[in-house]
Amino acid sequence: MRLRLVMLTAALLLAVHAASAQTPPSQTQPPAQTPPAKKTLTPPPPQGSSGTFDIGGLVTATDGDAARYERYRDDRDGLYSSFSVNRVDDTYLFRADASHVGYRDQRYGARYMGRRINVSFGFTGQPVNFSYLTRTPFVTSGSTLTLDDSAQRAVQGPTNSTTDGTAVGVPCAPGAPPGACSNATQAAQALANRSIYNGLASPFDLRYTRNVAAFNALYAATKAVDVDASFSLTNRSGQQPWGASFAFNNAIELPQPIDQRTNDLRVGASWSNDRAMFRLGWDGSWFHNQFHSLTWDNPNFLTDFNNGLLPPNGPYDPSGYSNGNGPAQGREALAPNNTMNVVSATGLYKLPRRSTINGTVQFTTQNQDDDLIPWTINPVILNTPAVIAAFPHLAQLPRSTAEAKAKGLNTLLNFNTRPTRRVNVSVRYRYNKRDVQTPIFDATEYVRFDAVPEENPEGFSPQFDNSRQLLDANVAYTPKGWGTVRVGYGYEGITREGRGFADVGEHIFRASYDAYSNRYVTVRTSFDVGRRRGQGFVEAEAGNDEVGPGGTQPTLRYYDEADRDRTRGSVIVTVMPQESIDLFVQFAGAKDKFLADDSAPVSRPGELFGLQEQTNGSWTVGFNFHPGDVIAVGADYSRQTFGSFQRSRNANPPPDPSWTDPTRDWTLDNDDRINNFSGYLDLRRPFRNTDIRFGYDYSDSANSFVHGGPRITALAALGQFIPLPDVTNAWHRANVDVQYFFNTRAGVGVGYYFEKLDVFDYATVDTNGSVGFTPATGDPRIDYLGGLITGYGNRPYTGSTAYIRLLYRF
Amino acid sequence: MVLNWKMVNGGLAVLALSLPLMLAESAPVSAGSPQAPQAQKSQPPTPAAPSGEYAGEDTCLVCHDDHAYKGTPHGLAVNARTPAANHGCESCHGPGKAHSESNGDLTLIKRFTTLAPAEVSATCTTCHTRATHALWEGSQHDQRNLSCVTCHSIHSPKGRPQLKASTQLELCGTCHRSVVSRQHRFNHMPVREGGLTCSSCHNVHGSTNVRLLRAGTTVDESCTSCHADKRGPYIWEHAPVSESCVTCHDPHGTNNDRMLVSKQPFLCQRCHVTSRHPPTVYEGYILQNSSNANKMYGRACTTCHQLIHGSNAPSGKALLR
Repeated sequence: MRLRLVMLTAALLLAVHAASAQTPPSQTQPPAQTPPAKKTLTPPPPQGSSGTFDIGGLVTATDGDAARYERYRDDRDGLYSSFSVNRVDDTYLFRADASHVGYRDQRYGARYMGRRINVSFGFTGQPVNFSYLTRTPFVTSGSTLTLDDSAQRAVQGPTNSTTDGTAVGVPCAPGAPPGACSNATQAAQALANRSIYNGLASPFDLRYTRNVAAFNALYAATKAVDVDASFSLTNRSGQQPWGASFAFNNAIELPQPIDQRTNDLRVGASWSNDRAMFRLGWDGSWFHNQFHSLTWDNPNFLTDFNNGLLPPNGPYDPSGYSNGNGPAQGREALAPNNTMNVVSATGLYKLPRRSTINGTVQFTTQNQDDDLIPWTINPVILNTPAVIAAFPHLAQLPRSTAEAKAKGLNTLLNFNTRPTRRVNVSVRYRYNKRDVQTPIFDATEYVRFDAVPEENPEGFSPQFDNSRQLLDANVAYTPKGWGTVRVGYGYEGITREGRGFADVGEHIFRASYDAYSNRYVTVRTSFDVGRRRGQGFVEAEAGNDEVGPGGTQPTLRYYDEADRDRTRGSVIVTVMPQESIDLFVQFAGAKDKFLADDSAPVSRPGELFGLQEQTNGSWTVGFNFHPGDVIAVGADYSRQTFGSFQRSRNANPPPDPSWTDPTRDWTLDNDDRINNFSGYLDLRRPFRNTDIRFGYDYSDSANSFVHGGPRITALAALGQFIPLPDVTNAWHRANVDVQYFFNTRAGVGVGYYFEKLDVFDYATVDTNGSVGFTPATGDPRIDYLGGLITGYGNRPYTGSTAYIRLLYRF
Repeated sequence: MVLNWKMVNGGLAVLALSLPLMLAESAPVSAGSPQAPQAQKSQPPTPAAPSGEYAGEDTCLVCHDDHAYKGTPHGLAVNARTPAANHGCESCHGPGKAHSESNGDLTLIKRFTTLAPAEVSATCTTCHTRATHALWEGSQHDQRNLSCVTCHSIHSPKGRPQLKASTQLELCGTCHRSVVSRQHRFNHMPVREGGLTCSSCHNVHGSTNVRLLRAGTTVDESCTSCHADKRGPYIWEHAPVSESCVTCHDPHGTNNDRMLVSKQPFLCQRCHVTSRHPPTVYEGYILQNSSNANKMYGRACTTCHQLIHGSNAPSGKALLR
């Protein structure tokens, strides 16, 4: 296939007459850091035709997680070709590019600019490679994933309500010895009894590809009027890791099949003269999913659990969501088809005295009316008259389709004036409103995990409406030669439905200083503080601590709306002692402190908890040195830190005494420390007709999780607390690219790039167990405590790719 | 290659739409149009003849022959809006007759290297008032006194479109180094691989959205312009999802799966704090000895709550189905 496309490309190119140009970097080569723009002038491409052929082959060798090495690339062995063709004169510009032809990450582009029209086309293939080490016992047919019946039967046994199977399905789930999994002895026994599905699982490549084709056209109808249109088509197909579980002790990860398409169409017309501009536009977007629901087998049950009892004791297991006694199959809804339409008007008007007003208003509608799947796929629930009698709401759905709809109104208005050359005033007003118009869905009786019908008096769907208003004003003063000082104030008010706070307002103060007119030094600094406070906390109904704001968890505290004090600042200093050198130092830091409500009554402990504080900081130093046309060298190092502190209480809802028990409080201090280094050395013609480029990038990270508080002390005393190890990684990438030209047109190139990732992550499970606690084997374990997974995780790799190519410029 | 017929048909449809535009370009135009006669197509219009205070482009190039702009869109003389179709160099630099007659007196010509940033931008936005440039005035970069020539070079561009650096990553990293370096995290968008660029998400010239995001008017609208499968609206929505994706994700890259700002289950525990299994202390003992380990390894919370972005299932209230 690739060879055929290479031949096709070559044939097409041979038909093109052209002459000389720049060589685009091959997509097989990672984009090495390149030196900054030199101060010397480089004329734009000459008029006439030009282009580049780049044809060669590449070879890749990997060890470990090869998919992670490729992640967004396609580095498979084979021939590759890239080309670029340009044609420029006074009457039109034309450009066509292709890279990595025939590979999953192939790209094509073309553009034509003429007297009145400007049209372009682009195609991008974007692979996302999750893992080539994954295995699964599920067999996929459309959107149904099935397991081997005999294996299910062996796990379940002759009956479906007692533990009489002879094989293990999911460790710690029904039928898997031991009967409980809560201490080291039981866990060791559970892990020793391998799942029958381990032997049945087949290896597969877990990946998908996103292909995007985009067409744009602009027609200049008159000197003042443009008509523009664009259309893009996105196709996503393949598989992704996906959760599909049956109970607390029966968590499943499987490959979710993907076949989705999105069409986007945009049309507009604009008018402009030297003082004003106005554009009226319409955007439409249609998302189509081939798979509207997913159906999959339960590894522990070939037939639905049925104990023969009547509600509330059966025929289902009332604790099935927890103990794993559930249905033979599960069914869940996948992303629904949906549409979005936006009508917008954008305007600009230039007022006297260097003043401008611009803005936009947009009306948005989003619709989604997919057919709803049933309450459950479990016939023991839906087909048992006694169950329907006990849960009459389950007899039929309140409606057959989603009827989901949201409307938006968004406006932006900017006023900017420079009454004198030294003063600049800008004022911005923004309004965003999202109005959810989906009829409330009554799920006061529903089915949990396809296993258990339940009552939930608060089971009505929420309507998370919100509206935001931002008013922001800045005044800048530029004393001659001393840079610009700017101060500003903004207020953002947010009104919400269904959240913890009905109204939230934030005052924002900012200041910045920018010195940019000195040829030797540039300084840019900024500092801002924000004070966010909420009003109208939505309390749970008196005596009902089961449900919190918006029908969510009791006293749930979202940090995106909690009271917050924010402080942020940044400094960028660039020194250029000579035209060939620049040295830079950059710093940025921020701190968000979320305020707990210490006055909250004991019945609302949640207002004390949640994210309390988060910080981040980074500083970078670096240089670029390009003394002449031969050498360009540069490097930078940065250190970044991210910290967060959160509090919680390990409790059950009232009347359980744990609800108000402060000895069950715990904290988590999470710190991520990251180092980055990048360097490059470009040698242009160090030897006869030869260009050489080196690049090196490095990044490491240490992410720590430190628990504290009385609950931790208590667990440690019981021997039931083990600190988590740091999650660490170190990543290297080195590349070299050498090009030798026989003459001004023809040359050869060789290159090599190397990557190495070391990673330890306790959330990745290998045959040794949890990586981070035990050495990584690189051999994923798919049956671990309480779950049956695909083996996808964070694993180390080493990879290298070498390529050789023929280059021809014309 | 996954290129199905629907894609091809869609492409053909737009090409078909474009065809009339191409044909229109060669068709006779109505009275009053600035179009040149058909016979002149091979001889495009040249900059207006020098008159008044204008010296004419040929005069400029006597000294500034290394400052050509031919070969770029500005040099497309057949387009009536370009400098090449108007006063050439003097379209942007202003009338140069006095400058040339004074043997190059620098005070008599508009030099973009010495102009105040606002004046540079005012020159460019004389023409560039439409599309992505419409909201430049008062935008974040305008307020910080960046100008068009901070990033663009008319005479010696290194990258598209007329950029001073060969890539956007390199150019934007000049100031936003800490953001660009997040691309080195092992969970990142395909930017360092070339699949996306900074401008895939941002319009640095000013936008209708926050954070100079290109699409839509909210963070969600920007993200779902590509991730339309998460757009909904759903019957059961997850409150923070319906407001802003960046509450949980850092699109510039993190060391956590799915570019989450923190690792699961701790990210979820930032909000789900006080009842039942969410506020359990998830630590090493559970991971090694309990069936609750499944809330820590692999997909953690989203192994069960997989419809975290919203569910359309009648029984999907807890985002389990």
